Amino acid sequence: MASGSFAVNVKDLSKRFGDKVAVDSVSFEVKRSEVFGFLGPNGAGKTTTIKMLTTLLPPTSGQAKILGLDLRSEGKKIRQRIGVVQQQDSFDQGLNVETSMNLYGLIWDVPKQERRRRIDELIERFEMQEFRKKQVVDLSGGQRRRLQVAREFIHDMDLLFLDEPTVGLDPLARRAFLDFFKEKVKDGLTIFFTTHIIEEAEYLCDRIAVMNEGRIVEIDTPGNLKRRFGSAKAVEFRLLEGASKNLVKALSSSEVVNKLVLDELSGTYRATTSKPELVIPELYRLADKLSLHISSIYIAETTLEDAFISLVKNGSGNDSSHVHSGESYAAASPPRGSFKEAE
Amino acid sequence: MNIYVRLVYRNLRANLDRISLFFELVFPLFFIFVQGFALSELVTPFDIGNGRVISYQLFLAAGAITLTVINSGTNAGTQLWYDRKNGMFEQLLMGPFTRLQYILSIILATLIIGIASSLLVFLIALPVLGGALYLSLQSVFLTGLALFLGTMFFGSFALALSVALKSSESFNIVSTFTFFIFLFTSSVFYPANKAPPVIQSVSLLNPLTYATDLLRAGLFDSMTPFISTELTLLTVETIVIFTIAVLAFRRIRV
Repeated sequence: MASGSFAVNVKDLSKRFGDKVAVDSVSFEVKRSEVFGFLGPNGAGKTTTIKMLTTLLPPTSGQAKILGLDLRSEGKKIRQRIGVVQQQDSFDQGLNVETSMNLYGLIWDVPKQERRRRIDELIERFEMQEFRKKQVVDLSGGQRRRLQVAREFIHDMDLLFLDEPTVGLDPLARRAFLDFFKEKVKDGLTIFFTTHIIEEAEYLCDRIAVMNEGRIVEIDTPGNLKRRFGSAKAVEFRLLEGASKNLVKALSSSEVVNKLVLDELSGTYRATTSKPELVIPELYRLADKLSLHISSIYIAETTLEDAFISLVKNGSGNDSSHVHSGESYAAASPPRGSFKEAE
Repeated sequence: MNIYVRLVYRNLRANLDRISLFFELVFPLFFIFVQGFALSELVTPFDIGNGRVISYQLFLAAGAITLTVINSGTNAGTQLWYDRKNGMFEQLLMGPFTRLQYILSIILATLIIGIASSLLVFLIALPVLGGALYLSLQSVFLTGLALFLGTMFFGSFALALSVALKSSESFNIVSTFTFFIFLFTSSVFYPANKAPPVIQSVSLLNPLTYATDLLRAGLFDSMTPFISTELTLLTVETIVIFTIAVLAFRRIRV
């Protein structure tokens, strides 16, 4: 694909602060009208990368083109075509919500009539009517966040950087924003999105880059990341009789179960497998044979969070079969309880 | 709409604290109407140059008008600190402007505040200044120039300070202290050329001395042979501190 087809085209971009390498030679592309997710633990370098791509920080080395414009020499032209919702709060004190939005539209040179129209639309869309005349300093954290995200849509843009935009929002407001972002993407907007909420990334992003310790570990679609790096599915079940050594012995020797562990706290068995449809009949057959009664059973699906944790802890190059075995299992699974290998 | 008009309007709307502005006005008026009034009974009228003999109250009134220049300068630093504290600083730097445009918009907003405050103080002090005023094209020009250069200097100085300091609390303490030094080593409260040699030497480096002397020369026609030199020195000092502020600002860590 020609570089003009990309909204963001980054090659070997690095940022150092003294001896510390915050971003270490990252390369990636973001297609136009794509939602590109950036996931990583705290301090992974996500915000530093965004600060470079939005021209706030000069890179130490490497190249990048934003909307076909050179990052180093065409900063102002880039800024005229992007929007940014920062991770931190940003607001004008001493103004009410409506005036704050109006003033923001003014500095972006949005004509007065258009500003009015967009403010009314955004205030209604994000249910800010009841606090539209309230001073910004008096808003709750969630309300201020709503204002900050909504405000960015006062002006036109081709590319929007969203750095953890939904922090502090309730689930309804969060979903409203995510759906609004999706609509905008359909209209041609490209979104560069960072979050700690994995479900959000899965819901919104076309592709996700996982970043850790300044480097990009993997880039793929959410589905592929789950498939490649997620843990195997697991069948979780409980027995009316509690623990049963005979069942454990019998099930552990089954070819379709990779590993069997017991959460002692809840009395739940967890059988890791790639073929749950074979494990379940086998389990019932063995229970029947041993005169045991299964009180609950369900299949735990692999999640993007599994894949994310696996990637961050193990790095790329570890495929799912590696994750399934032995000690990697604990690292690959979200902490649901205190599972212990069943004996 | 022009980019500077938009940014200056935003700075004036978003970052002006009305209570602070009120007290910035009260401060010089206090000097004129209380201190000046009280001390004029103790200090005999004296020659301020060009054979112009005026009372201490008039002398102090001119000094108090230049005091608004320092107060407005502090405003520039405060505007920047508000933006930094509220996250708008980074937000604006990612907006459709350059850093230079942003810093200039703060200076321009400061100039508007400074000149408007000075005019207001001047109008309120008119009953005191009264018949001693000397009005000519030259006097208006000199007065305007003194206010312009003074506000530019102290605005830039406050910006450089606020870039260098890591918290708004430090900025408030350091700016109050340094402006105190500027104030008491200048010719705002006493004729600096009659002060002890050490203070005289310091006052010769002090831009507030030049701004005050220029303003007095404009208001009372007390032109001396040194006025053009003082104007040149004030211009040079303003250019130097403005350049330092811009360079410091461009290197500011975000």
